[in-house]
Amino acid sequence: MNTSTLRPAPVPTDGTPLPLPVYGSGAGTDTRLALADGLLALLRTTTTEPRPDEQLEALTLAVAADLPVLLWGEPGIGKTAALTQLAASLDLPLTTVIASVHEPSDFSGLPIVGEDPAVQGVPMAPPQWAVELVRAGRGLLFLDELSTATPAVQAALLRVVLERRVGALQLPPGVRIVAAANPRASAADGWELSPPLANRFVHLYWVHDQEVVVRGLGGVWPRAEPPRLDPELLPEAVAFSRRAVCGFLTARPTLIHRLPSTETRRGGAWPSPRSWDAALTLLAFGTAASVSREVLALLVRGAVGDGPGLELLAHLDRMDLPDPETLLADPAAAELPERGDLRQAALEAVVAVVGARPERERWEAGWAVLVRALETGTADLLVAPATALASLRRDDWEVPESMDRLAGVIGLALRADRSVERVAAAAGRTAGTRR
Amino acid sequence: MEKLLAARLHAVKVRPYLAGALFALHVVEDRSVPTMAVDAHWRCYVSPGFVARMPMEELAGVWVHEVSHLLRDHHGRGARYARQHEEYGPGERLRRNIAADFEINDDIYGDGLPQPAGVVLPSLLGLPEGLLMEEYLGRASMSGLAPDLAWLDCGSGADGQSRPWELGPDGAHGLSRQQQDAVRFRVAEGIKGRPGEAPEGWRRWADDAFQPPQPWRQLLGAAVRSAAGAPGAGENHSYRRPSRRSASVPGVVLPSLRRTPPSVCVVIDTSGSVSDAELGSALLEVAAISRAVGGRRDLVSVISCDAAAGVAVPLCRAENIELVGGGGTDLRSGFARALRSRPRPDVIVALTDGQTPWPSAPPPCRTVVGLFPRHASAVDEEDPDYVPDTPPTWARVVTIG
Repeated sequence: MNTSTLRPAPVPTDGTPLPLPVYGSGAGTDTRLALADGLLALLRTTTTEPRPDEQLEALTLAVAADLPVLLWGEPGIGKTAALTQLAASLDLPLTTVIASVHEPSDFSGLPIVGEDPAVQGVPMAPPQWAVELVRAGRGLLFLDELSTATPAVQAALLRVVLERRVGALQLPPGVRIVAAANPRASAADGWELSPPLANRFVHLYWVHDQEVVVRGLGGVWPRAEPPRLDPELLPEAVAFSRRAVCGFLTARPTLIHRLPSTETRRGGAWPSPRSWDAALTLLAFGTAASVSREVLALLVRGAVGDGPGLELLAHLDRMDLPDPETLLADPAAAELPERGDLRQAALEAVVAVVGARPERERWEAGWAVLVRALETGTADLLVAPATALASLRRDDWEVPESMDRLAGVIGLALRADRSVERVAAAAGRTAGTRR
Repeated sequence: MEKLLAARLHAVKVRPYLAGALFALHVVEDRSVPTMAVDAHWRCYVSPGFVARMPMEELAGVWVHEVSHLLRDHHGRGARYARQHEEYGPGERLRRNIAADFEINDDIYGDGLPQPAGVVLPSLLGLPEGLLMEEYLGRASMSGLAPDLAWLDCGSGADGQSRPWELGPDGAHGLSRQQQDAVRFRVAEGIKGRPGEAPEGWRRWADDAFQPPQPWRQLLGAAVRSAAGAPGAGENHSYRRPSRRSASVPGVVLPSLRRTPPSVCVVIDTSGSVSDAELGSALLEVAAISRAVGGRRDLVSVISCDAAAGVAVPLCRAENIELVGGGGTDLRSGFARALRSRPRPDVIVALTDGQTPWPSAPPPCRTVVGLFPRHASAVDEEDPDYVPDTPPTWARVVTIG
């Protein structure tokens, strides 16, 4: 039997162990087996604890967002255990189907020849697990060992994963799909995932955390909390993620569709309109659930691939920068980012908007923003923006008083320049003697 | 403090592609730090006394050195190495720090950053330059250096082991892992965008930073496997014959798992530019892979090819095959010969260094190219404009070695 449908066992969450079985007092082998059962029951009595776990959080969020997830991980790393946990916490029955031992017709439907095929057609009968899943109306469909399925099975799975159809049956909306695969390094006889199938999944890389394993073997596993979506944030989250993805793709149109070209990237996530749509959904869910940037990064990179995902996240960072016009409007209250590189980016944006509409008041406000930055952070960040702002000066504009306070910045730049020149001169001398 | 910042400006001026990373570092002044150190959360701990005694030019070099530890993920790699080899303790920590410094110091100095007098270089132990931290650790015990360099301490950013003065993950102004990735990614993109400015070592880092190089054996295996398993060849489902399961499910037509053993033809570039050792290892690999996909040994044949193609030899003899050839290459003749052979190959695997013309049209079967990388392409003295063609897009290319 390679498919199973099981209700999750109730998991005690308050730390109290399950009631222990009563040990038999009879004689003979029955007792011995009963004792063995007792020991097993004791061993299997584990509790869970809420614990921040980024990969579990990412998995839960993607499942909640109804996007197919693909877990990559070495064999025996606890992917199935995590899925069981997830099913329990979402209160969904878990159906495991091991893809590699199935035939394509188990997913596309088994053709059944009837009385008169020319008139009635040949119906494609769905397998039992699909019928049961439809009858239940909800559940977690776990397609295990995806990477060892033959290409024909993978092709048949395309429809299951994307259109949620098994033969003539339509899987109800309450069914979530999660798949698991072994990475190529450890799949000795595996096929690789075809790009169309890979594009339909959110790829999450499952790694074990030493602490989690040790604590789990000690009897306490981490618990997956279903994401808490804040109802008030929903419209805002959709608007935000649309703005982010659309703004980003307007700036980087080449990233809209890019088939994996190098051998190392095959079988993984890659950007396409479909996977950008998934990224948008994930961004909206992540925002509404207020998850950390780390979790968001796992999800976005899993949907569109590392490169485009990181670029989108960098774009989000820039969206977080304060609006340069707001900074100019009230320099004294300006709140600049703490991180040096972001702070410099914000100051450069201020100089850029002043340059776009150079007026004397705006120019002076620009200096005030720089003074504010000097008061709240290190001086070396100001050299580049200050030089750029100084070059915007018109002849009839007087130097504002605040510039005196930036004299230290100029001194710093001069010191650095002199140091660079010293090195260049020394290098020139040694080159000269060599010649 | 001012000197330190001026030195950072110096570093930014001579290494503009590192500016984002240098500015992302958060400076913490601390008298208990021996010199200058970084932690895994991109904080930079500085001893005021150290700054006072260093010349500014060299201080700029220290900035670049410390940020290199972080960009090259020495904390993650160091911690992984320690876990894999179960090497903990202060001596091991120092060893990792020295190896990480080797990896950095062999190419960051010069060009505006003077090399300081006491800098730790691989040549101290007679090791070659340009290796990775892990390779240096595997090659030398470094115990000879340890007493002299016991003062050396670049912080947990260099070896992944925390220090008493560090603020730890919960301290202020740290960068989260995803923020670190974003900074590293932007620096890598900057280097890739304007490759002329950065030295070779940094360009290599930028290429690999977000795509860890995979072992070629697995890539070649996956490529051959998927080529041999594509429709028409190899093991797949087929309705040509009913499944044996059909008997138990009356009225249901089931496909059966058919195995059409793929025939694989290996075309080997035996021109003078490919070494025997390279060929030997690659050929054995192809043979092992084709056995794994279910190819019978008689279905794997080998053609050695220089300017003209040899005869296709079945693999059963090819393991002791004498690869004949030398001189120039024209793989087109090898492809033509392979396609003429019977049975006609389902997959052609070409092992070559790529210094060859390629067929103009895709052959009627899957093609995998195992490419031996050649650095600075040899310039043809008679025709300086000659550039060898890159492998065509219809072939799956795996770089070997």
